[in-house]
Amino acid sequence: MRRISNMISLLLFLMAANNAIAQQKAVPDRHTISGSIKEKKGGEILIGASVYLLEQPKSGTVSNSYGFYSISAPAGIYTLIVNFAGYLPDSIKIVLDKNITQSVELIQKGSELQEVIVSSKKKNENVVRPLMGVQKLSISEIQNVPVIFGEKDVLKTLQLLPGVKSAGEGNSGFYVRGGGADQNLILLDEAVVYNASHLLGFFSSFNSDAIKDLTLYKGAMPAEYGGRLSSVVDIKMNDGNNQNLQTSGGIGLIASRLNIEGPIVKDKGSFIISGRRTYADLFLKLSRDSSIRNNSLYFYDLNVKANYTLDDKNRVYLSGYFGKDNLGFGGTFGIDYGNSTATARWNHIFNSRLFSNTSLIYSNYNYNIRINSGSNNLLIKSKIEDLSLKEDLQYFINNDNKINFGINVIRHAISPGIVDVSSSSSYNPVALQSKYAYENAAYISHELTPADKWKLNYGLRFSAFSIMGPGNFYNYDTAGNIISTKYYSSGQVVKTYMNLEPRFSASYQLTENRSFKAAYSRNVQNLHLLSNSASTNPTDLWIPSSPNVKPEIADQFSLGYYQNFRNNKYEFSSEIYYKALQNQIDYKNGAILRANENVESELLFGSGRAYGWELFLKKKTGKLTGWVSYTLSRTERKIAGINNGEYYPAKQDQTHNIAIVGIYKANNKWTFSSNWVYNTGNAVTFPSGKYQVNGLTTFYYTERNGYRMPAYHRLDFAATLLEKKKKKGEGSWTFSLYNVYGRENAYSIRFQDNPADVTKTQAVQTALFRWVPSVTYNFKF
Amino acid sequence: MKSSTIYLLAFCMLVIYGCKKIINVNLNDASPQIVIEGNIYNTAGPYQVKISKTVNFSASNIYPGVSGAFVKVADITSGVTNILSETSAGLYITSSLQGVPGHTYQLTVITGGQTYTASSTMPQAITLDSIGFQHNAGNVGSNINPVVNFQDPAGINNYYNFTQFVNGIQLKSLNPFSDRLSDGRYISQQLFNDSSYIRIGDTILVQMNCVDKNVWNFFNTLVEATNGNSFQSAAPANPISNLSNNALGYFSASTINTKKRVAF
Repeated sequence: MRRISNMISLLLFLMAANNAIAQQKAVPDRHTISGSIKEKKGGEILIGASVYLLEQPKSGTVSNSYGFYSISAPAGIYTLIVNFAGYLPDSIKIVLDKNITQSVELIQKGSELQEVIVSSKKKNENVVRPLMGVQKLSISEIQNVPVIFGEKDVLKTLQLLPGVKSAGEGNSGFYVRGGGADQNLILLDEAVVYNASHLLGFFSSFNSDAIKDLTLYKGAMPAEYGGRLSSVVDIKMNDGNNQNLQTSGGIGLIASRLNIEGPIVKDKGSFIISGRRTYADLFLKLSRDSSIRNNSLYFYDLNVKANYTLDDKNRVYLSGYFGKDNLGFGGTFGIDYGNSTATARWNHIFNSRLFSNTSLIYSNYNYNIRINSGSNNLLIKSKIEDLSLKEDLQYFINNDNKINFGINVIRHAISPGIVDVSSSSSYNPVALQSKYAYENAAYISHELTPADKWKLNYGLRFSAFSIMGPGNFYNYDTAGNIISTKYYSSGQVVKTYMNLEPRFSASYQLTENRSFKAAYSRNVQNLHLLSNSASTNPTDLWIPSSPNVKPEIADQFSLGYYQNFRNNKYEFSSEIYYKALQNQIDYKNGAILRANENVESELLFGSGRAYGWELFLKKKTGKLTGWVSYTLSRTERKIAGINNGEYYPAKQDQTHNIAIVGIYKANNKWTFSSNWVYNTGNAVTFPSGKYQVNGLTTFYYTERNGYRMPAYHRLDFAATLLEKKKKKGEGSWTFSLYNVYGRENAYSIRFQDNPADVTKTQAVQTALFRWVPSVTYNFKF
Repeated sequence: MKSSTIYLLAFCMLVIYGCKKIINVNLNDASPQIVIEGNIYNTAGPYQVKISKTVNFSASNIYPGVSGAFVKVADITSGVTNILSETSAGLYITSSLQGVPGHTYQLTVITGGQTYTASSTMPQAITLDSIGFQHNAGNVGSNINPVVNFQDPAGINNYYNFTQFVNGIQLKSLNPFSDRLSDGRYISQQLFNDSSYIRIGDTILVQMNCVDKNVWNFFNTLVEATNGNSFQSAAPANPISNLSNNALGYFSASTINTKKRVAF
């Protein structure tokens, strides 16, 4: 208890210190100008637009995730400049004699050839801001990068950035800076998405038509985020056009999409409905083979959102996501799974300096497995359900000081598995105990300019994870046998893990276009994904921390150098990082993770470390845009009982990782794009000998992950043809070819007896895709 | 909404190759390890204990027998001890021992200055009532899988290991089964095999061994290792042996029950 009160007094002290700074610097004759930044045509709010006063070049700020900005300055006459990539900059004369509200609407640049834009000063945001390891992807970048099956995919485009590694061929899963696939916090309008993939990983859950903005934090995330070790992927959905009703969509080989958006009340509110469905299963129906005809294989997802501006100071948003996958094999086996999320938000502007957002969030992930084999009828159900309340406040003290603070309460309810059986089944019904937990957090962070050329962002997140009854909680010996059992009743706290997570980042601007940055952050994770398969499965098990499973902790240190060239046309960054991981989870040999009440007895715990160097060069404007990304890294784990307790490379340890992306806008009709990726093969366990058991050849293993898969490389190409604009609407064709030179990249390597010569063994490599061409038609009217 | 402005989609051929090829992998050599495989059954002896060594991956599937070892099997329950005699290189057989359900057997092997031991308890025999067949949708046409039917005794943990023989030839697949989720049920369980090996008209013999927990654990972890580097298991490892001193293999006292039927 003493430690807790110390932590709380530290928090209070920090808050008091911040207030002191605020009072010291808030000079009476300063006034504030605040408002929101929107797109003129559709009324879509713009996140991250840069805003500053021409006469006070150091006054710059960026609009927050709700388009809100606030700048203060001494009384006077100013020119307010607003900039946002892809939009024409705007300047507005301001007479600042009192606090004023000024909303700004920017006009999107036409689809005509992009001229070399006269670059304004504030395009060097990436250099100035103290935040490190942040990557933003704009929808236009996502739209033009070629992807497999022609389905634009935010998570696959993300994998082309430094420090982000793909979980496998065509897979939307990813690893960030050596973290596990479950260590990424994926948020869609603030709601956690537990399984961000469709069709066993080949597609992400996110329909790019419905997405406005994506930000990736690779470790040094601001204090408002928490709950996962490695990264935050913060995805914001479109708000919908508040001027005109608009329909757009696309017809592809795999899926078709339809998007409808429009005003609820013009200028006041809008809605968007965006849906997508695959239809590979419709082709299966054409098959003559009844066993293929009876297979099902599809997914769909639906994004809906509505917002309404009540008055100058209040705006409400409702957003929802619903996705479902359905896979069935000949009526004997079927699985369906999906996420549903719902977010209700209320933006409130207390005054020109204090902005608040209150969110009520619901998130659900579930799966059902049906097996009908002979007399064995099984239905397995599993669900994870979150209900969350979040209050975020942003206090703009002055141009040099901004404070973010807030609280977050999440209630987790996990039903790991219920097995329903028919009376003739070979199996008994099973109902694993549901698990309940509260994940509570409070945070505060302060962004300030302590001196010329310096920017600092420091903060603290206090997280408390309480495991709740009802349920039996077990104590195990090292062999995994139950030593003691204790029952907790409903509402009883079993254990609370409290953690302080400091976050710190600083930038020092060497010149206008060059800076150094440094960051340190600690992250804590209390929900753990148990998966002993090579890639993530929809049926992987989420477990909360418990008396046996301690919270995972990561400490990351990073240093970086940033430079923009040629009037911010080119952006360069070089970052190094070191990450230490505690309480990492692995599995005992032969671990039983399914339908096992004592799954915690099957786990092994250890530590990990990851370090690397990331280089990134991006060309932002001109006919040719794109980037080159290179990562040199190492990722290791150390688990008692594996490889004699020594550090060994984690599966996703890829020494070299290169991605080159080029987008060339040849003329008003044609845009060409291409990307090339290369990475060292994953670490893998191969046999070092063989023997015979029961007449079967059996392989002898000497170490975990002692070998490498062959290096992976691939070239993709896409061409987009924009049709002549018609009176009503426009259309475009996208042709793409995945794996242009048809390399057979190893997906798996198996060892087996040679069928042609049983006295020999052989290694068989399986490659998934060679040359996948696709065509998509997109329209808008 | 003008339908005339919507172009009909022209489909391209979707060329997806899921291609397999034989590759050369440069695998390390490991120093030869002792492999012991011993079985005691409830049927009449003699029973065998095989001792061999691992070979490198690139070598032929010929595993050198270890000669001159001291091999002893003791029935701890009855106190009978049997020293095994070597009939050919690495093959040792019992002389007077008879496996009895409920008895615990201990194996001792001394070779190369090292002692390896293991013990195994023979469970009570359970009757395999019948076998049937199930046709499953496969990649190409359908696969035929044998189905085993038997009553699992309630209230105790039972472990099984099934072996399939097609026209007298053993299939290269392992089917360990535990009643962890099936205690006391009448069990109809499909046996899996690597691919569609069984055709209508083939004579199928299924052997059911009732084994103890450690032996089941060995075969169960062996299945996982066999699936290693496929789509299922993350990292293959050596199966968990009940032998001491890091020997590979297992020592099992089990009951045997077989059923034969022509596939239909």
